[in-house]
Amino acid sequence: MAESATQHQHETHDQHSAVPYVVVWIALLVFTAVTYLTGIQHLGKWALAIALAIACTKSALVALIFMHLRESSGATRLVFVTSLVFVALLLFFTVSDVATRFTLATPAGAPFGTERSQPEGLLEHEMPAEE
Amino acid sequence: MSHEAAQGLPEGILAHHFSSLERQNEAMRLGMWLFLATEILLFAGLFTGYAVYRFQFPLAFAECSRHLEIALGTLNTIVLITSSFTVALAIHFARTDRRRAAVICLVLTIGFALAFLGIKAVEYTAHFHERSLPGKYYAFEGVKILGAAMFFTMYFLMTGLHGVHVVAGMSVLSWLLWRTLQGRYSSRYYTGLEMGGLYWHLVDLVWIFLYPLLYLI
Repeated sequence: MAESATQHQHETHDQHSAVPYVVVWIALLVFTAVTYLTGIQHLGKWALAIALAIACTKSALVALIFMHLRESSGATRLVFVTSLVFVALLLFFTVSDVATRFTLATPAGAPFGTERSQPEGLLEHEMPAEE
Repeated sequence: MSHEAAQGLPEGILAHHFSSLERQNEAMRLGMWLFLATEILLFAGLFTGYAVYRFQFPLAFAECSRHLEIALGTLNTIVLITSSFTVALAIHFARTDRRRAAVICLVLTIGFALAFLGIKAVEYTAHFHERSLPGKYYAFEGVKILGAAMFFTMYFLMTGLHGVHVVAGMSVLSWLLWRTLQGRYSSRYYTGLEMGGLYWHLVDLVWIFLYPLLYLI
């Protein structure tokens, strides 16, 4: 056990390469450019899906290569994946609730709008349409 | 066994309750990832809040987003991605026994962290001047749609909590820089440095989602 540990450290010492880091860094910059270019187009209902897909791809690259998850043990990966599962649960049920129900009422004077700039306290559907 | 593994290592690296250095490193990694998982869930709460209010006020969120400085947000994204790259390189150089290069990369990373905070400070200053502030403090003339204040509440909560993490990460990296200068990390042992790097990458991960969700609606 102990010998294999020392051997392992020496192997990684000789073979470890920085090339994947450079590749991932360039990929991340390219994906940032793509997010920016698609983001400023305001592609309507696809905008959010595209932005999140790119963000997930970037995160996967950071987690797998920069954070060494690709070469990590199963337990470490399990911890990370479990946290993602719980994030997905939280977001999925909350968003599906909000998305399928009636629009929540927003009383005038609630701190969502502004009392100073909106003395009339108009509701959203009463506001003049933007653009 | 533990004696063999500890041979040639700086004093006190291998704790007596671990049978080998490999096991100790693995326990450290697992512990760090558990901590990162709690960090992910902490931010997930804010992201869920963001999702709910974006559903409630889609118009206000889109309009407010267009009043943020996209150029500064994009620049900060590039700065943070590059800092993630330099910290990955620092660990790479430490584990291949190039201490000088590791030190340079850590200094660069801390520099990028400072640049990020500086750019964020410029943005915050502009928000305070135009009074695009959270809740009842909102008095921005540019957007007068109901829900605009809620966008800036989420904006300040999310970027604020992220900013706190940048400061914490920067402190950790400065401490690791000091220890690298002392020559504590090499091909024989670099797990401490690796853990600091993991934390910094998490700061980058969160920003990767914040950038499109806040600046590019």
